[in-house]
Amino acid sequence: MRLAAVDRRAAEAGLMPGHALADARALVPDLELREIDHDWLAASFADFADWHSNASPIVAVVEDIHRYGDLGLDIFGVAHLFGGEQAMLEMLTGRLSRLGYAVKGAIAPSLGAAWALAHFAPGTIVPNGGEATALAELPVAGLRLDEGRLAQLEQLGLKQIGQLYHRDRKALAARFGAILVTRLDQALGRVTEKLTPRLPAFEASAERRFAEPIGYIDDVIMAMTDLAVELGHTLGSEGLGAQAFHLLLYRVDHKLMRLSVNAARATREPGHIAELFRHRAERLEGEYDPGFGIDMIRLTASSLAPLDSRQLGAFAMADGAEDLDRLFDRMTSRLGPQAVLRPRLVNSHVPEQAVLLEPAVAGRPADPLAELPHGLDRPVRLLPNPEPVEVIAEVPHGPPMRMVWRRIAYRVMKAAGPERIEAEWWESGRNLELLLPPRLEAPSSEPAKPGRGSAEAPHISALAPFRPEASVRDYFVVEDDGGRRFWVFRIGLYVEGVAPCWFLHGIFA
Amino acid sequence: MRPASSALDALRARIAEIEHRPAFGGRGAIAAAGAEARNAARLGSESSEGRAANPLPELPGGLVHEIFTDQLRHGGLALGFALGLGGQQLMPQRPALVHVQLVGDGQELGLPYAPGLRRFGVEPRQMVLVRAHSMAEWLWAVEEAIACRAVAGVLAEVSGAPKALDFTASRRLSLRAEASGTSVYLIRYGTGRESSAARLRWHVEPVLSGEVHWDRSAPGLPRFSIHIEKQRLGAGIGAGAEPRQLLLDWRENHGFTPLDSARRLGGRAVPGPGHAASSPRPHAAALGDRLSQAS
Repeated sequence: MRLAAVDRRAAEAGLMPGHALADARALVPDLELREIDHDWLAASFADFADWHSNASPIVAVVEDIHRYGDLGLDIFGVAHLFGGEQAMLEMLTGRLSRLGYAVKGAIAPSLGAAWALAHFAPGTIVPNGGEATALAELPVAGLRLDEGRLAQLEQLGLKQIGQLYHRDRKALAARFGAILVTRLDQALGRVTEKLTPRLPAFEASAERRFAEPIGYIDDVIMAMTDLAVELGHTLGSEGLGAQAFHLLLYRVDHKLMRLSVNAARATREPGHIAELFRHRAERLEGEYDPGFGIDMIRLTASSLAPLDSRQLGAFAMADGAEDLDRLFDRMTSRLGPQAVLRPRLVNSHVPEQAVLLEPAVAGRPADPLAELPHGLDRPVRLLPNPEPVEVIAEVPHGPPMRMVWRRIAYRVMKAAGPERIEAEWWESGRNLELLLPPRLEAPSSEPAKPGRGSAEAPHISALAPFRPEASVRDYFVVEDDGGRRFWVFRIGLYVEGVAPCWFLHGIFA
Repeated sequence: MRPASSALDALRARIAEIEHRPAFGGRGAIAAAGAEARNAARLGSESSEGRAANPLPELPGGLVHEIFTDQLRHGGLALGFALGLGGQQLMPQRPALVHVQLVGDGQELGLPYAPGLRRFGVEPRQMVLVRAHSMAEWLWAVEEAIACRAVAGVLAEVSGAPKALDFTASRRLSLRAEASGTSVYLIRYGTGRESSAARLRWHVEPVLSGEVHWDRSAPGLPRFSIHIEKQRLGAGIGAGAEPRQLLLDWRENHGFTPLDSARRLGGRAVPGPGHAASSPRPHAAALGDRLSQAS
């Protein structure tokens, strides 16, 4: 076991990362130790990176060497907002060191050069074209290479980046791998390297900074309402509307909270946007934690689409579609996207696959092939999971004469069927997905099968197709002596001597 | 007589306006609808193949209906009846029915199944399913759906008798429904009745279906045994004017078709409305009626 990181006091006591644990204990007997949790650190660092989107829209974690610890900001066209590059660098590093972080930074025309400078010559600002000179004196470790390659380079006496400039590139590539040449080119700006921003690029936004951090959700909502008006004007002046809105809350302690809402159709109406966020905020419950306060909020819009101004009144046709979309938006933002569903017919005969329940906000046109043939009797209610039925008296190939469902016995008076449902021929390799239903207590724990239907799965989890045991189901419409009508089925063909499995799948009116 | 009754009608209309009730056509209109229904019932019994008319009065939008059935396993029946009523409210300006259910009731009662809705005149795209996690969300969703002018009807169902759905809540729903013209069908289960501000209370029970010509052993058309427990459609319309007990078949393209219940009872051993009437009558119903009238 080795030390992975040390704090300032440990460093003063002479400890360094890489020391063996036993040696460290010998040096400092009352050493406080924590096991390093890389996943947690990576996640925290990602949050930390997001928070920096208040300085530049393109922020990324540079994960070439470590999963966390290196932050890249594309400040092209941004620095002047902070009073120049020097001032921006000082502001960014200064505010972190005031919070107690050890931080080093540099600005360079290429990401590779900035990385090397930040690690080995912090505080440097290199103008365009100055990479080669700036990097010449730095150790080769600045090239973001793995330890094996660095050791090889050391052995050959190639210690500084400058020493590589005039070497034969082919020989370098042959000996150390193409990566060395690539890294060199990236550092010198001969190859462009793109940062992959962590947050999606926003096409329109409005933001507000607060002199004093705010904490109450009500205050956030009020500020958001103002921003919605501002954003609405911005979008309106360009004749645009948006379908997705995101509210970013920047906390003073470098955390970022993000709320998103979606609208069924493009909108820019401030009242509607604000209402969606209000409903979304009601659904937050424990999620909202302002920490020490929020010092900036930003409302952004994505999925922009042209939205022309419309004339209201006189010739407006009220077909209700817009009202309905508004209703879906409101319900979805308060109850969640899986709570407001619209059925869509799918081209399948298998009852539970014939209908896909999809979120109402993601409305898609109906599939014209999905029409069910007329004359087929379908129940008005379908149980998400078919329930096993105990059949007491039965006729081979026929409907049950007596059955027990939910501990109640039924005497079947009338029955129609069977309607035999099989998997479609192009699915014949697979059996019809079927198995004893999962336990009722936790229908949601059933993992969605990668089958058709569930792949595009905005489906109620419990309606997911179940596992195969047989490829055929025989469905019967049965009516008991009280006039109750049910849809029951038997799995598989009737085999003499084998007790067949019966299920109740639907309830008729 | 004539001037007196018109003066009465005018007064009733005025009272209805003060009480924020939906504007009905006065006594005459509803009574006429009732008579028409009775005629239709007679017609239907005389010529079973004849033109079927809707035995229920033309119900305007904006009413709160309570549809009770005794047991959870009759949920399909109650939903079918609600769809039959709600489907009539669908129109181009109001193209949707919203079904609100608690997530926990999904497996117990089953989810509305789109291909089966066709039979009741509701296209799959016209149905919206809302799944609430708590009664608070359930009530919110119902109210929100009522307020939307593009919704024809809200089919709200809940198993059991939650505290949240008390008289105050139902009065609230009823006021909002009247304001927006959206009908509400509360599908409830059990024999207990609480006071509520619903205008109509139906009690639906299953009954053996009729015969199919080509297959004697097959179940026939959906058949409903219906008892109208409460009807407060407007001033003065009430007991006696309407048939309180109905036996209806649902025919695609025709809607509810009445059956001559007496003949059915006299015939073979088919449990008719008498069977339904023998089921335990709720005690609280009368009290509930009075309370809601007092509101």
